[in-house]
Amino acid sequence: MNGQPAPVAVVIEDEATIRRFVRTALEEEGLRVVEAADAEHGLRELATRHPDLVIVDLGLPDRDGVEVIRDLRGWSDIPVIVLSARSTEPEKVVALDAGADDYLTKPFGVGELLARVRAQLRRRTRLGAEASAQVAFGDVRVDLALRTVERRGAPVHLTPIEYRLLGIFIANAGKVLTHRFLLNQVWGPNAVESSHYLRVYVGHLRQKLEVDPTQPRHFLTEIGVGYRFLI
Amino acid sequence: MSASTEPATRITPPTAGGRAARWPYLAAVAACALTALLCYPLARHVELANIVMLFLLTVVLLAVYAGRGPAVLAAFLSVALFDVMFVPPRWSLAVSDVQYLLTFAVMLAVALITASLTSGMRRQVHLTAQREREALILYETARELAGALSAAQTAESIARAARTLLNAEAVLLLPAEDGSLRNAREVADGPARLPAWIDAQAVSAVFRAGGAGSRGVDLGGLSGSEPSVHFLPLRAPMQMRGVLAVRGHVAPADRGQLEALASLGAIAVERLHYVEVAQRTQLQMNSERLRHSLLAAVSHDLRTPLTALVGLADTLTLPSNALSAAARATAETIRDQALRLSTLVGNLLDLARLQTGRVTLRREWQPLEEVIGASIEQLRARLVSHEVRVHLAADLPLVNIDAVLMERVFCNLLDNASKYSPPGSPITIEAVRSGEYVSVAVTDAGRGVAAADAARIFDVFERAVPEAAETGAGLGLSICRSIVEAHGGVLRLVGQATGARFEFTLPVGEPPAVDEDPSMSAVGSAE
Repeated sequence: MNGQPAPVAVVIEDEATIRRFVRTALEEEGLRVVEAADAEHGLRELATRHPDLVIVDLGLPDRDGVEVIRDLRGWSDIPVIVLSARSTEPEKVVALDAGADDYLTKPFGVGELLARVRAQLRRRTRLGAEASAQVAFGDVRVDLALRTVERRGAPVHLTPIEYRLLGIFIANAGKVLTHRFLLNQVWGPNAVESSHYLRVYVGHLRQKLEVDPTQPRHFLTEIGVGYRFLI
Repeated sequence: MSASTEPATRITPPTAGGRAARWPYLAAVAACALTALLCYPLARHVELANIVMLFLLTVVLLAVYAGRGPAVLAAFLSVALFDVMFVPPRWSLAVSDVQYLLTFAVMLAVALITASLTSGMRRQVHLTAQREREALILYETARELAGALSAAQTAESIARAARTLLNAEAVLLLPAEDGSLRNAREVADGPARLPAWIDAQAVSAVFRAGGAGSRGVDLGGLSGSEPSVHFLPLRAPMQMRGVLAVRGHVAPADRGQLEALASLGAIAVERLHYVEVAQRTQLQMNSERLRHSLLAAVSHDLRTPLTALVGLADTLTLPSNALSAAARATAETIRDQALRLSTLVGNLLDLARLQTGRVTLRREWQPLEEVIGASIEQLRARLVSHEVRVHLAADLPLVNIDAVLMERVFCNLLDNASKYSPPGSPITIEAVRSGEYVSVAVTDAGRGVAAADAARIFDVFERAVPEAAETGAGLGLSICRSIVEAHGGVLRLVGQATGARFEFTLPVGEPPAVDEDPSMSAVGSAE
């Protein structure tokens, strides 16, 4: 891979068959994969291998996957993708609030898995690089230095709250953001229960910046969890 | 002290007392005669005034031990005997000295007053003892009732108390499931059998009227010797609990006792009711927990192999495997079928959750637009061959919904629409506000649903086109209906010329206000 060492991914999952296909898919993508069947082994691998990415199942035999994430976040900020079941949204929210970056709902295909992995690795590279003041998505250009937003060359008026929300989305592009996180960032810790505010303002951003607000391409809803902003 | 140790006098029926009522009077006559005889020899040695004293003493003693009637008799008798035997001329009612008339009058007056006072005091003592005994019995009963574990035990205690207190027969009548009143001491399942003296209609009337302050019904006996029958409502703090039926010779003064018994019974029955409620709730919670963990286990055990199946089939198609086109198509089919199976499993589990337990909605106020967008995104792969059009009225209020469940509704409706309409045809989602509801419709341009199928289409395991190539049991619509109904709305199929149109409503409620922040002039002023 252009002379650079291959990125390393640690996969912590107790089901051998799922581990196997995740490994096959990631190796196809050019990653080196380290497998762990439980939390204890997983944490040991994380500490010794210095991986670039972690994929962790929430239902591990020895410890809760969320604890692994909390542990890891004590000393590392590498991307974490969580594997979990459908209709366990509260569990996903807990994992995300503990520091996970994204999640995959079982069953998932190789395409979905690789898309998420690529997005997280890209995000990591981008975070490492010099932050650019210019961001473009769809037909929208945002200049973070001048605090201006343009759509197809025409200026777009955003309210202070809308602009702050947009800034947080841009800073965390590709990451799933929970309602609690966003409310806390924009309105402060007293507002974390007033999720309807957030929904209304995300609606405003979609009205102003999406081609079809009812079928958004950038400000995506993660039902029961939060939002994901895609550039 | 016959008064305090002989409670039997109280429960002896008044008609059976001919003989017992006579002896105090005989005793009075005998006592006066005895006093006269004893005094006779003394008359020569003591003043007549002292003999008067002895007679008065006799009257007082009689008042204490024999009661008022005999004492009054003794008062008159004493005066007569004193006159005849001691006042000169002896052995004649005539009086030589007129001042003795004054003596007689005073003697009579003193005797009568003493008799009256003493017997009154005696009756007071008797009554106090009686009340104490009754209070003790009621207290014992209350204690027994506090420990009663069943309606039968409660009825037993009440019946025993009625027997000891009033020598009466008491039956506790409690409402059964079907509303009829049953004897609490009978087996709950058996046919209702009431003692012949209980008129079921009269009892029901008391039970129904109980709340309105009725004091119950007293049916006197046919003749004086017949026992009377009383029906008292069991009025507990929360509601009417039943009727207490009592048969016996209950004096009007004892009505209070009956009411005390009835209210003790009412409280005991209510307590039992709440004990039962608590036990049932506990049981329900346990079975709810069991069901939840069972569903979670089943869901995990099914999902794990399905995830492996989808993923492994998918890895076969990776470029490095260099499969032939046919093998590649097979691998893709395996993956698609596994995904379909996973949807089906998800639907089955959803249905189990929705139809077997009470659904707990995690409601939040949100724009409908958000759920619709997420659902379309979720189904993007399956909707590629359709154009999805979304028309939302501009004035749609926020709705208070469980977004995860509502997404199931949209996903199922969109999935159905894509299955039963030809590729390339549009699918439309509309939402408008109509009065107190938001009305949502998902319309496709397929063959629609035959009128004959329209009624069955929401049943579990029904499909609009039984032999169609498309797979998937008709679970989806059934789930949709359960979810919409849990939100207080209605889902129905609307008949139309072409295609199928599913409409559902969601109550608007009172959305919270959202303060708008002022437009920021600094932003957007690009050069």
